[in-house]
Order: sequence, then structure tokens, then C-alpha cells
Amino acid sequence: VTLWTIAARNTLRKRFRTTMTVLGGAVAVLAFIMLRTVLDAWNVGVAYAAKDRLSTRNKVSFGVGMPKRYVDEIATKVQGVKNVTYCDWFGAKWAKDPNESFSNIACADNAFEVYPELEVDPAALARWKADKTGAIVGDMLAKKLGLHVGDTVTLEGSFYPGDWQFTIQGTYTAPRQAAVDRSTFFLRWDYKNDRVPERQKDNAGWIFARVDDASRSAEVARAIDRIFEDREIQTATMSERAANNLLLGGVSAVLDAVDVVSFIILAIMMLILGNTIAMSVRERIAEFGVLRAIGFPSRQISAFIIGEAMLVALFAGLLGLGLSFPLVQMAMGKWLEENVGHLFPSFRISVPTMIGAILIAPALGAFASLLPAIRAGKIPVTEALRRTA
Amino acid sequence: VIPIAYNVRNLAVRKATTAAAAAGLGLVVFVFASVMMLANGVKQATHRAVDPNGVIALRKGSSVEIESGLDESSVALLGAMPGVARSAAGQPLAVGELVVLVILDKREGGLSNVVIRGVPENVLALRPSLRVKEGRAPRPGTNEVMVGSSIRPRIQGLDPGKVLEIRKNRPLQIVGVFEDDSSSNESEIWGDLHVVQAAFAQQGTVSSVRVRLESPGAFDRFAAAVAATPQLHLNTWRESEFGDRQTQGTAIFLSGMGTLVALLFSIGAVIGAMITMHATVEQRQREIGTLRAIGFTRTQVLASFLLESIVLALVGGVFGAGASLLMSLKRISMMNVSTWSELSFKFEPTPGILLAAIALAVVMGACGGLLPAVRTARINPIQAMRGA
Repeated sequence: VTLWTIAARNTLRKRFRTTMTVLGGAVAVLAFIMLRTVLDAWNVGVAYAAKDRLSTRNKVSFGVGMPKRYVDEIATKVQGVKNVTYCDWFGAKWAKDPNESFSNIACADNAFEVYPELEVDPAALARWKADKTGAIVGDMLAKKLGLHVGDTVTLEGSFYPGDWQFTIQGTYTAPRQAAVDRSTFFLRWDYKNDRVPERQKDNAGWIFARVDDASRSAEVARAIDRIFEDREIQTATMSERAANNLLLGGVSAVLDAVDVVSFIILAIMMLILGNTIAMSVRERIAEFGVLRAIGFPSRQISAFIIGEAMLVALFAGLLGLGLSFPLVQMAMGKWLEENVGHLFPSFRISVPTMIGAILIAPALGAFASLLPAIRAGKIPVTEALRRTA
Repeated sequence: VIPIAYNVRNLAVRKATTAAAAAGLGLVVFVFASVMMLANGVKQATHRAVDPNGVIALRKGSSVEIESGLDESSVALLGAMPGVARSAAGQPLAVGELVVLVILDKREGGLSNVVIRGVPENVLALRPSLRVKEGRAPRPGTNEVMVGSSIRPRIQGLDPGKVLEIRKNRPLQIVGVFEDDSSSNESEIWGDLHVVQAAFAQQGTVSSVRVRLESPGAFDRFAAAVAATPQLHLNTWRESEFGDRQTQGTAIFLSGMGTLVALLFSIGAVIGAMITMHATVEQRQREIGTLRAIGFTRTQVLASFLLESIVLALVGGVFGAGASLLMSLKRISMMNVSTWSELSFKFEPTPGILLAAIALAVVMGACGGLLPAVRTARINPIQAMRGA
């Protein structure tokens, strides 16, 4: 009989308590995994940002945009730019149900060349390029709203008022990358431009450029801003990663809070574990006295109390991880990806989170049992034997 | 009935175990109460400095000012509608305001979207609670601006005497700092309407029109008259309702997230309480047998142990709720997802939130204590006294 088997058998002595402790720990691990996954999902835009893409905006305000001729200037004057496109946040609502929320963006017809991770059937792309009122929609959005090629749909404008009719010309998918919103509605920028009032005409909200050499992107970004330095409307160009990070910065207070809370849950788990261990140690003081009396050193006694705690915690961790797949990934993640894909294009449990959960659980078990274990080892043999629980 | 002092003493004897279980429950209550205070803080930020007679009009289809755009001529049209209050000089109380977002550097690093609001000369007639705290109000028709007191510490260079470079050769001169009843207005920068219009090439455009009515009851008459004028193409709200819409998304996001987390946490804490109570019951078999033998009924014993668990939870709950009150000293600043702009707010407790937090503790205690208490009541007194 090794100490480890003793530790393992001890866990079965109070079955109710062990079961409850494992359950409690598992819930804590589940909550931890969920919160870490929320954080990962927010950061997905930063983690998967294309290294060879730059975005240019009006230096002063996100909402104002730049003259459209800036696009041509970037394409012709800046060295190292492969291709350039431009898009505007259209911000219209689904006329049939204004509560339906998805991104709708007005883009130049070469947008899919700058965003190669969005794959469109060449025939559909050709139809889109030929039809000013055409739209290309994400496959998930098409499924959700029951859209088919050739359908005529209406969006109700807010920033660009009025009813806007579109013909669905195709769908896009993102087979090579999970972290892409497959629920965006792409319309043609020139259709929008034709209909807006004079003061809003020929304005590009964002300009996106792909560079030939990703390692030179900082240099290219500076070269772009330098062109417009002395104009009335100046630009700010940054890597896609930096731009996505900037957007996240707005909710950083919330993300920090989620981060803190995910560790509070671990503290709760430790309290549950520590309490259980302390109780069983108290009940078994007399046994430890016997073990000490027949020659086990106190270090070994402490070791197997810690071993017992680690074992229980490991089970809790495994159960929590096991539960997190159906609950966090399949149920919650699937719902979020399908319904608020523009916020959470990819809601999946990451490998570091899984490994973290499995490693943290026994570590917390060891930490929580440290105090009772040391105390149990230190108690004088005679006193321990005298105690009857 | 078994006196409650019996339970309290029992908890006091097992100090460490009681403290650990109560701390677990307390953390749950703390997180729950904090998040609810935060959601309330967001709501309150747009609810303050609201005039019961105030009405706001946006272009149809827009629900936030930044999405809306109206011709400046609609200000006069709205001022002529029935029910609109007039100034001492007989002018209708209606003002057009232009809202634009500018990107500014945060003091802590990073960038933020900040509202610049262009307002006309007579704006203070419609904003009675606003007052200048430092420096002075901008002079109408100049490039002077004043900054809100809660955005000032967040953004670099927002101090009186400094200059905001908005466009090339169009600096805005900061001359004052204003307060407005801790409302969301304090997260904005205010300047002259026509200067802001010119700086952003939006001459002749306003985002919203604010109107002051003679009485809150005049709203229906006013709104009906606006709806009957189709060329206006506007939506009107009372200021109070409009405020709610501005933070609805953020408030729902915060409270939804908080509720989900509190739910998961509470399962953990209930299990913790259950383990503790279960262990107590096991250790006190003899005691329980004695109680039953001297004539206490099963129900009385059950009630007593359930009560003990609730007392345990209450201790945790009171500490958790108390600790969450400390959070009200802290200010949070984040992007309001509905308006895309920086909003600064506090954790704001209400008696309701604190009561709900304590109630949550009681429910958790009752859930955790129920199973062990039922077990206690089932104990056979003879066997128990013999020592199991």
C-alpha cells in the first residue's frame, strides 16, 4: 500500500462530502473556463489580425471619414501597397425586424481581394460587381434569415436614412479562419454614394490597404499618413492588429473586471476545498496519531493529506472541463456565434484555457490543503492519540 | 422552538469552518451586488440632470444622437409647436445641438471616443442643472469650449488654458470645466454650435433638437403635432425615456453578464455551505439525538438546522454587501456601446440592490442547508445518543 493509494481510498470514506466537493470545484472550474473564453472571444480580432493589412481613418473622428480621392492617392503614391479598398459603416436595420442585429458595410467592389479570408464563389462575385444594388452576405446570416441568391431584401437606414433595396447575389464563407464574422451584409459603396445627399458624397469611412511585405507595414503606414499631413483632413494609419486593439480599449474596464472575477471564482473553489480538507483532517487526528506512532514521519502525513486534496481537485478540474464542452462551447458558444456573430465571431475554449484549468485545479488543491496538512504533521503523537473525533 | 442562540453558538465554536463557508457566500454576494451597482450607475448617468418638461427630437430611424442628422431649420419649426414653453423674452425654448465624436488620447494610454457637443447661445435655459466649476463658460460665437468634470481626468490635455487641435488650423480653446449633477453630460466637451459645425463641415446640420414644454402633460399634444407634420420626419421622446435608451445596451450587457456569473458562483457557494452543514450534522449526532429525546419534534430540529445555515449565509451576505459598498468609491469609464462614446460612471448602490444581495445570501443558505437539515430530522434519537 503506497501513500497514494491511501490518499485515494481516503477520498471514498465520506462519499457525500467528496462528491459535493468535486461538484463544487467542477462548477468553479466551469465558471473559470467560461470567463476565460469570454476574454479570448473578445480578443479574437486582435489575435487573428492579418499582419499585412493596414487601416486608415480620419485622424480626428471615426465617424467622419476621408475624401474618396485619398484611396487613389494611396494606391498610386505609396510604394509597397498591393491593393487598396474602402468601406463605410452603413448601420442600417433589417426592415422586417429592427431587433435583428448584424453588421452591414458598404464596400468598394474589390473588397474581397483585400480580405482573401472571406471566400466568395467567382460567379457570385462577378454578379455582385455587375449589380450596383447587389449584396454579398455571410453564410450564417443567409441561413438565419433564410436568404437565397436572387432575393430582394430591404434595409431601413439610420445614418443613411430611407429604405434601401438589395438583391442578394451570393454568400461568403471563411473556411480557413474561424475568427471571422460570417454574419456581415456587404453592399456596394457606389450604390450608397449615389443616393446620399451632396455633403455626404465621395466620402470613404475607412481605407484598407494590403502591403507586399508584412515586415515593412509600419513604414508603409507612415508613408500613407505623410501624404495627407498638410491637408485639411489628416489620416491615422495603423496595422489591423493595432486598430482592433484600439476598439477593444473602449471596453477594457469590463475586460479587466472579467479577468479579476475569473480569479475570484478560483478563490471560492479554494475555500470549498480548504474547508473540506480541514474538516477531514480534524476528524482523523487520532488516525494520524496512530500512523505517527507506528513510525510514519510527519512529512509523509502532510504529503498524503496534500495528495488527497490534489486528487479531489484534479477530479473537479476534469469534470469542470468535461462539462464546459457541452455547456460553454456547444450551447453558449453556438448561440453567441449564430446570434451576435458581429461581437463574437468565434466563441471556443482555447487550448491554453484547457491546460490552465487542468493544471490550476490540483495546484489550488495543494495550496488549500497546505495549512491543515502542516498542522496535522506538527501535532504531538500523544496528544493526537488522546483525541477522539 | 429551539432558541437561535444554540445555532449562533455552534457557528461560533467552529470558527474556521464557519468563516470559510461564509467567505465563499460573501464573495458571491459581493460580485452580484457590485455588478448590479455598476449597471445601476450606467443607468443613473443618463438619468440625472433630466428635465421632466424636456423633450428631445431625432431624425426618424435614429435612436442615438450620433446617428441622427436634421436640418437646422427644424429647430424653429419645433419651437412653433403647441405646448412649447417660452422664455421671458417670448422666445420658444428650443435648441439644436450637434454631436460629433473625436478621438483623443487617454491619460492612461490608448485612445477614446469623446463627444463634442455644439450648443447654441441659449442652451442654459434648457439645462438648468449645469454649472461652471472652474474657469468660465465659453463666449458664444468663439472657438472656446468647456469640458465635463468627469472626462477631464480621463483625457490628456483637457485642462483650462490648453488647446484642442481638431482640424488643421482650427484649434478649440479650453476655458472652463463644468458639472451637471454627475450626469453623462460630464463626459462631454461643449462648444459653440456654429464653430463645431464649421470644424466638422456640417454647416446647417444639427443632431438633435431639445425642447422645453410648458408642463410634462403637454407632451402628447406636442408629439401628436410633430407626427402630423410629415416633412419633419422626426421621432420625439421625453428626456427621461431617451436617457434610458442611451444606456440600455450597456446596462443589459453588464447586468446579464453579472447575473450569469453570480448564478454559477452561487452554485459553488451553495455546495460549500452544504458540505459545511453536512459535516456539522454528522459531528453533532449525539446532540441532535438528545434534542429529539427531550421532546423537540422533527420539524423543530429541521427548522433549527435550516436556520443555522441561513444565519451562516447571512453573516457572509452582510460582509459581501458591506464590501460592495466600498466599490462606490470607485469610478469606471468605458465605451457606452449604444452611443460609441466614452462614459464615466460610478458603482451606485440602492437599498433594493443591497436587499436583493442579502436575499440572495438567504436563498443560498436555505438551499445549502435543506438537505443536511432533512437528514438531521430523520435521525433516530436512540441510535444517535448511543453514539454512531
